[in-house]
Amino acid sequence: MLSTKYTVREKLSKKEIDRKWWEVGDYFRRNSLWLLMYCTGCCAIELPPSMTSAYDMERLGMGPMATPRQADILLVSGYLSLKTLRRLIYTYEQMSEPRYVIALGSCPINGGIYHDSHAVINQLEQYIPVDTYVAGCMPNPESVLNGFVDLMEGIKNKKANGWKKYHKNNDWYKENQLHALGEVVIHDEFHQ
Amino acid sequence: MNSISNLEYVDKIILSITKDIKKESIGEYQVGYEVNQADVHQLLSSLKLEGWKQLSYLSAIDWPEENKFEVVYVLFNWDKPIYVQIRAKINRDNPSMNSIISIFPGAKYYERETHEFFGIAFPGNPEYKKQLILEQWDDIPPLRKDFDPSAYSAKKFPSREYPDDFSVKDKDNQVLEKNAKRKKRVKKLRTGGKK
Repeated sequence: MLSTKYTVREKLSKKEIDRKWWEVGDYFRRNSLWLLMYCTGCCAIELPPSMTSAYDMERLGMGPMATPRQADILLVSGYLSLKTLRRLIYTYEQMSEPRYVIALGSCPINGGIYHDSHAVINQLEQYIPVDTYVAGCMPNPESVLNGFVDLMEGIKNKKANGWKKYHKNNDWYKENQLHALGEVVIHDEFHQ
Repeated sequence: MNSISNLEYVDKIILSITKDIKKESIGEYQVGYEVNQADVHQLLSSLKLEGWKQLSYLSAIDWPEENKFEVVYVLFNWDKPIYVQIRAKINRDNPSMNSIISIFPGAKYYERETHEFFGIAFPGNPEYKKQLILEQWDDIPPLRKDFDPSAYSAKKFPSREYPDDFSVKDKDNQVLEKNAKRKKRVKKLRTGGKK
C-alpha cells in the first residue's frame, strides 16, 4: 500500500532524465511524422493512394515534406541505381536527427528483379540503415500504411534506431559505400 | 496529289546518293537501310533537308560474331510520318564513328551515351568522353555482349544470405497433384459424397 503522505523521491540521474525526455519527444514525434519521398522507383505509384482520400495517411499524422532538413522519414520507393544511391546518401546525411528510413518493395531487400543488374544495388541496408521494410513487388497501399504503423511502433519501443547505428558503425557503412560507388562525391554538370 | 508513297519517296532520296544499300522493310511507317560508314553523313544531311529533321535516337548494336558494331540513327519526319533507320557497321576493335553534331546538334548527348555503353569513339564531338549516365564506371562498357552483368553484380553488390531456404524444390511438381487431390476431397466433403 502506497502512503498518501508526501515522500521525498530519489533524485533522478542525468541518464534517467534524458530517457524520460526522449520518451516524451518520441511520443510527439511518432504522431507527427514528415516524409521525404525519394520516388525514383516504381513503388512510388503506391504513394498517391496512400496519401490521398483512399487510404489517407494524414490520419496517422503523416505528411509529405519537400526538403531533407525538415523531414523525419526518408522513404525509398524501390530500386536504387548507383547514381541514385549517391544522391540518396547525400540526402540522408543532410537530414536532421532523429531520422528514419522506410524502404518499399523487394528491390532494397535483396535486389528483387534487378538482382543481377550491373547498375542496381542489392541491399540498401549495406549503405544506410533501414528501420522498416515493406516487402512486395509492389506493396499495396494497405501494406504501405502498415509499414508506417510498424515504424511508429518501432519508435515507441525504441527499435527504430537506425540513425544511432549509422553513427556507431559509420566506418562499416562508409566502407560499403566506397566498395559499391568508388567515390561518394558527385561529379556531374550540376555539381561543378 | 502525291503520285508516290512516302516510303518510295525515302527510297528515292537514299538511292540518289548511294546504290550500295541493304533495305529492310519494317512496317507501314518504318524502314531501315544498312549503308556504308562513309555514306552516313551525306545521307543524314540530305534526309534532314527533305524534312526528316528530328533525330529520334542514336545507339549501337553489338555483333560479336562478326566483330562489328552497328551504329543506328533513327530519324523522324513530322510531315511524312515515316521513321527512317540508317545503320552502319563499324569495326569492333577501336570502334570510331565521326560525330554528327554538325548535322544534328542534339546528338551530343546520344553520342556521349553510346560512348559510355559501347565504348565507341565519336571524333568531332568535343566532349564525347564525358560521363553522362554511368558514374565512375570501372569495367568494360556494360552493353557489350561480352560483359557479364551478373558476375559484376556478384562482385560489387553482396546478395542477402538467408538462414532458411523457402524455395520450392519439388522437381516432379507434386504440389499440383496434391492440390488437385485436396480440391477433390473438399468437393466430396461439401456435397456429402453425392454427385
